[in-house]
Amino acid sequence: MLEDIAGYLQIESWPLVPQMPFWGALALVAGALLGEGVRRAFGVPRIVGYSAVGLVIGLGGWGGGVLHGPARLVVDLALALLLFELGSRVRLRWLQANPALLATSALEAFASLAAIYLALRAFGQPVNVALACATLGTCASGAVIARVAGELKSAGQVTERMIVLTALNTLLAVLAHKLVIGWLHLDVGGDWVRAVSQPLWAFGGSVLLAALLSRLVAWVARRLDLRDENAALLLLGMIVLALTVAQLLNLSTLLVPLLAGVLLRNSTERPWVWPRHFGTAGGVLVLMLFVVVGSVVTLDALLVGGGLAVVLLLARGIAKTASVFAFARWSGIGLRQAAGLSLALTPLSGTVLVLLTDLQLTHPGFAPAVVPIVLSAIAFMELLGPLAVQAGLRLAGEHRPEPSWRAPQAEVAA
Amino acid sequence: MSLEKFSDSRPLTLGVELELQIVSTHDYDLTPAAADLLRLLGKRKLPGSIVPEITDSMIELSTGICEDHADALAQLTEIRDALVASADKLGVALSGGGTHPFQDWSQRRIFDKPRFKQISELYGYLSKQFTIFGQHVHVGCANADEALVLLHGLGRYIPHLIALSASSPFVQGTDTAFHSARLNSVFAFPLSGRAPFVLTWEDFGVFFAKMTRTGVVKSMKDFYWDIRPKPEFGTIEVRVLDTPLTIEKAAAMAGLIQCLARWLRVERPFQPAEDDYLPYTFNRFQACRFGLDALYVDPGSGEHRPLREDLQALLVRLEPHAADLRAEGALQFLRRELEGHGNDACWIRATQAREHLLNEVVRRQTLRWAGRGG
Repeated sequence: MLEDIAGYLQIESWPLVPQMPFWGALALVAGALLGEGVRRAFGVPRIVGYSAVGLVIGLGGWGGGVLHGPARLVVDLALALLLFELGSRVRLRWLQANPALLATSALEAFASLAAIYLALRAFGQPVNVALACATLGTCASGAVIARVAGELKSAGQVTERMIVLTALNTLLAVLAHKLVIGWLHLDVGGDWVRAVSQPLWAFGGSVLLAALLSRLVAWVARRLDLRDENAALLLLGMIVLALTVAQLLNLSTLLVPLLAGVLLRNSTERPWVWPRHFGTAGGVLVLMLFVVVGSVVTLDALLVGGGLAVVLLLARGIAKTASVFAFARWSGIGLRQAAGLSLALTPLSGTVLVLLTDLQLTHPGFAPAVVPIVLSAIAFMELLGPLAVQAGLRLAGEHRPEPSWRAPQAEVAA
Repeated sequence: MSLEKFSDSRPLTLGVELELQIVSTHDYDLTPAAADLLRLLGKRKLPGSIVPEITDSMIELSTGICEDHADALAQLTEIRDALVASADKLGVALSGGGTHPFQDWSQRRIFDKPRFKQISELYGYLSKQFTIFGQHVHVGCANADEALVLLHGLGRYIPHLIALSASSPFVQGTDTAFHSARLNSVFAFPLSGRAPFVLTWEDFGVFFAKMTRTGVVKSMKDFYWDIRPKPEFGTIEVRVLDTPLTIEKAAAMAGLIQCLARWLRVERPFQPAEDDYLPYTFNRFQACRFGLDALYVDPGSGEHRPLREDLQALLVRLEPHAADLRAEGALQFLRRELEGHGNDACWIRATQAREHLLNEVVRRQTLRWAGRGG
C-alpha cells in the first residue's frame, strides 16, 4: 500500500534510507538546540550542548571510534580556523618582555609530558604507550578556550595567557608527537630512515607551507578590509586551501594553520582584525567539530581505558597547575588568576583527537593500546572542559555579569 | 555639609593628572587591566599616585607638586616609564587621547569599587559613556579669593586650551567632525559647564550652602565644571584638556597654564566679569568642533577673530612670564604644533587617512605614549 503511494508520488528511493547530509543536518539542529538549552537552563557554555549530542551519538553506538571521511574533514577545517586565530594572538614580544611567562609555558609543557609519562609507567603501562599518551596529553584545547572565551566575551590576563600557553603547548605537542611517531618506526620496525625523514618532512614542510599562507594572508589584508564579510570569506578560503594542500602532501594539518597564525602576527606589528571564528561559516564548522569529537568516543573505550584516563588527567592537571603557580607572582598575576588559568588549561579536545588519528594511520598495530585511554580522557573532558574554562574565567573575574540599570535609590541619588 | 576651608599652597605650583587608556596589544581595543597594573606598580616608589578610574580599562596617574615645566616633565617621565614597563609585562599597552576611537561602550566593565558602582547605578549608560580621558591641571593659589579671581580670569582662555589639547576626533569607530568629542560627553552630566560668577570664598560658601540645601550636591566632587576650586589642595583645577598623546605635550600644557596664571596674577590685564560668560558656550563649541581653526569671540570687545591668531598673540604676551618660570620650552613646543601639523586630533585624523584602520592608529598612539616613535 505505502509502496504504491510512494510510486505514485514518484519517491524513487523506497524504503527511505537517509544519507550523510541528513544525519549531518540533524546533528547540527540537535547541537544548536541543545547548546542553547543548556545555556539557558544551567548558564553553561553552548559547546557543552554540542559535545553532549556527540557523546550520545558515540556512546549510543552510532559513532565511529575512528575519525575518517567527512567527519575528519569537518574536524580539520574547524580546527584550522580556530588554531589560525589562536596562533594569530601569540605575540612573541610579550614573551620577550615577560620571561616568566615563557618559563611558565616551557615548564607546563614539559612537566605535563613528564607527569603523564611517569604516572602511566607507575600504573604498569609499557614505555611506548606512556610516551605516546604523554605527547598527546600535553596540549590544551585551543577549540574549547577560543569558543568559551568568545561566548563569555572574556578579556584580561587569564584570557590572554590561556591563549598563548595553549598555542605554545600545542606546537610542542605536535612536534613531540612527530618525534614519537618516528621513534615508533625505529623501535617497532627498525626503520631509521623513515624515523628521521618523516618527522623532518612533516615539520619542515609544514613550516614552509605556513610561511607561504601567512605571506598570502598579509598580502590580502593590506589590500582588503578583513572585517568585511567577503574578505573574511576569502581568508577562510585561503586557510581551507592551505589545509587541503597539507593533507595532499601529508603535512601536519594542525601545525600549518597554527604556525601561519603565529608568523602572521609576528611578521609585522600592524594589528589584524577579522570577524571572530570567521562569522557564521566558521560557527557551523565549530559546532560540528564538537559533535564529531564527542561521537568518536565509544563505550568500549571507556570500559577499557577509563581508569587510566583518570590517571592521565590527574597527572596532567597537577603538572599544569603547579607550573602556573610556580611562576605566577614573577610573571605578574595574582593567585586567583593563577587558579583560573590552571583551570582553563584542563580541557582536551579536537587537537588531541587529530593527533590520535595520525597515530592510528601510521601505526595501526600499536595504536589500539593508546586509543582507549585517550578517547576516555577526551570523553571526560568533553563536558568538564568548557565548564572548567568558564569557572576559571569567573574565578579570575574576567567574565562578570553586567550590572542591571536600576532606578536610583534614595541613598544613591546625589 | 558645609564648605571646607581652603588650604594654603604656594602660588603657581602645578599638579598634573592624566586619565589613560589601557588597550590590548592584539586588536588595540580597550582591555580590563587596571587592577593588574595597580598590583604590579604597588611595589614601586613613584612621585604622585596612580589610581583606578570608573571602568577597568582606565587608569589615572598624578604627579606630586611640581615647581615648573621641567619638574612636571621629569615626574611624568618617571611615572610613564614605570607604567609602560608594567604594561609590557602584562602584554597590554597604554595610550593617550580623549576618547578611544572605536571602543564599544556597552562592552565596558565598571571597576570594582563602591563609589564607582554607585555612580554607574545612578547614571546608567552615561557612566559608560564616561569612558573618556582628560588631563587635569592644578594651579596653586595663595588664598581662596585669589583662587576664584584666577578661575574666572582663566575662563576666557578655555577655548584656547581646548583647541590646543583636543585629541578625540573619533567615537565608536566614527569621525565625529569634532576635534574634542570628549567634552560633548562631559556636557551630558548635570552640574557640568562653568562655575557661578562669585569672586570671594564667602560668596562661594553661600552658593554652596544653597546647593547642598537643595540636596543636589554633597561635596565639591559633584561639580563637573570646566574649572573648579579644589579647597583641600589649595588649588584651582582646569579640567577641559583632552589627555594628549605624549607626556611632552601634557607637560607643555601645564607649563602654558602656569604662564597664563602668572600673567593674570601679575599684570591683571582685565577685570573678570559675569558678562565674560556671554560668548562662553559659543567659543567652547567652536573650539571643540574646529580646534585651532575655530572662530573666537573676544568677551571684552565682542570682536570676532580666528582663534589661531588670538593664540599666537597670547603666546607672545606670555613670553616674559615664561622666561621667569623657565617655561620657554613649553611655549616653543606649542608654537611648533600651532604652526606645524596642528593638535593631536589632526595627527589622529592624518594617521587614519593614511592607514584606514583605527586599530593601527591606536597602536601608533601607544608608541607615542611610550616614547617609542609612532
